Amino acid sequence: MIDLHRTLAHLHQTQTSISLSTTDLCFLLALRTRADRESLASFEEEILIDVFLQICELTEPGAENPRKRATHAIQRLRDQRFLARVDGAGFVRAGEYAMTRLAAAIVDFFLAEEALTRESLTLLTKTLLSHLAALKKAANQATQPEDWKREIIEPLRITVGDLVGGIERRQRGLDAQQEEIRERIGTLLKRDWFAAVDTCEQLLEDTTTTLRELNEVLLQDTSHLQALLQDIEQLAADANAPEAEAATRHVMEQVDRVAAWGTARQRTWSEYYQYVQSYLRNVVRLDPNRAVSQRLRDQLATFLAQPFGLVVADAPSIRLLRELEAHVERPPVTRPRQDREPPLEELPADSLPMALESHVRHALAEGARSLAEVLARVLPHVPPEERFRATGRVAALVSTEARVQAPHERTWTLVPGQLVVEDWSLQVPRSSS
Amino acid sequence: MKELLYERLEDVVQDELFPEVDLALREGHHIDASDTTRYGFLAEAQALLEGFYRRYACELIRSPDGYFYLLPSGERLGRRHLSVGEMLVGQALALLYLDPATIQAAGVLPRAQLLELLANLVGQDKLVAELNPRRRRRDERIAEELVRKELDKALRTLAALGFVELMEDERLRLRAPLLRFTEPVRGLGSPEDAMRQLIAQGQVLALETSEPEEEEQG
Repeated sequence: MIDLHRTLAHLHQTQTSISLSTTDLCFLLALRTRADRESLASFEEEILIDVFLQICELTEPGAENPRKRATHAIQRLRDQRFLARVDGAGFVRAGEYAMTRLAAAIVDFFLAEEALTRESLTLLTKTLLSHLAALKKAANQATQPEDWKREIIEPLRITVGDLVGGIERRQRGLDAQQEEIRERIGTLLKRDWFAAVDTCEQLLEDTTTTLRELNEVLLQDTSHLQALLQDIEQLAADANAPEAEAATRHVMEQVDRVAAWGTARQRTWSEYYQYVQSYLRNVVRLDPNRAVSQRLRDQLATFLAQPFGLVVADAPSIRLLRELEAHVERPPVTRPRQDREPPLEELPADSLPMALESHVRHALAEGARSLAEVLARVLPHVPPEERFRATGRVAALVSTEARVQAPHERTWTLVPGQLVVEDWSLQVPRSSS
Repeated sequence: MKELLYERLEDVVQDELFPEVDLALREGHHIDASDTTRYGFLAEAQALLEGFYRRYACELIRSPDGYFYLLPSGERLGRRHLSVGEMLVGQALALLYLDPATIQAAGVLPRAQLLELLANLVGQDKLVAELNPRRRRRDERIAEELVRKELDKALRTLAALGFVELMEDERLRLRAPLLRFTEPVRGLGSPEDAMRQLIAQGQVLALETSEPEEEEQG
């Protein structure tokens, strides 16, 4: 499985890019043609230079130092992995080179010899059917995991996968061919207008026939292919061979894609076909001198001086009346009346403040001469949870009942209730004591 | 002899497609051959429906260019004429429809192409003035934005009438009814005569020219 993120990261990190000039591209095409003509698997350096010189003469006539340019071109193509040195002799002698898969793919695209035809599709699907039938037989007989790997998984991945891949590649070739035909029809009409009608119609008909035939083959054969693949998948599931199941499913997806291509392309082409036929019939044939465009252009340019409007029907939509609703008088927004005084509640009287006052006076009368002494006498009469609050009140009472003397550095004294207070000395007036 | 699919008007009205097609025609929609189902229905029922709509003082027209539409001639069914903005956009779209360059993409093109063509043919200033008669400003950016909005509005109307199809990614699909905009210039005679004839037929209404307004200051 291809790890896309890893591949992208690698390409980014290595700053991989491809740059191919017209001369280099022609050079590769010429190499491929020469290899086909002379059945060459690789090229000696002298052949490369010879081919480059011919191409250079064609694309850049009169260029200086063509041999030097050839050497640079070969190096450039090697750097970009279009050519690979296959002799392994290094600098010892002149090299021998082969075109890489990358170069072959680019050349194939431009040669466009691999567009799908009825013949090639029929041949490929029949070969596929026969391979799959053999694989089904092998799957029936496979008993060991090694049998599955050798007899089913590998052939599925390589032979069958390549065959389906071959169909897909040719489909892409046909897509490119259709794109060219569309462009050609547009160009023909632009250039020759009425005189191009027959050629355009012929191009349309030819492509329509090709697509219809391909779709017929696809519809007929892909169902057989899928049936065989399902049988193999079932056998793999029964034999507990998950790898074989996955390989089968992968091919099934490829076959699905191939079938979907046929339907999608036929639909798209059908729309295009109708559009162009309508154009040829209503525009080109009715206006052989191509005068309407110019007259419409003139009409548009002067339209604002003499405007007019096309008349169209404009019946309003049928209206459904709403059900009758009695008109309701809505009262003004008001706030509910409420008694803002909170209700009184009966609570037991808080006797602590009065009791504290009495206890403080009593403590002072008994001779307590510091805040800590007063607190030591008073706090035992106070519940523990009230002692902290009571301490503050006692301090306040003491300050009114006696004269407080607080030195600059006051001592901290522990009083009942685990409280520590800053202590004061007290001077009690005679009348109080 | 071709067998008739509908023998009586009742058969046509009973067809499931009738309410949908009838409402579309009454709302001014043009139905062309690319809408195979509704166009096929109309082609089959044409003879019966012509009499049916005549009673509403309307004419069911089948253009030789391959589309149907309803043309009211009396007051029984509502009618209206396209505005100046809608006519400008419609004619520009018709011009694009006639251009062989739009064939490659089967009549699909970006909206920007329409705006560019209109600006070239009519002129940006005239376009701004005509599409924003009450909101003239000196700010070019605001004016362009207003023109774009008005064009979008016109395109929505033309799409509702079946002249064009609005697609995703700011693209348009041109449709055969756009050829209605070329009617005044398609004949061999003079466009003036053709226009007079179209007005007499009730196909077209002559509009008054708008007076230029004073530009806002600032």
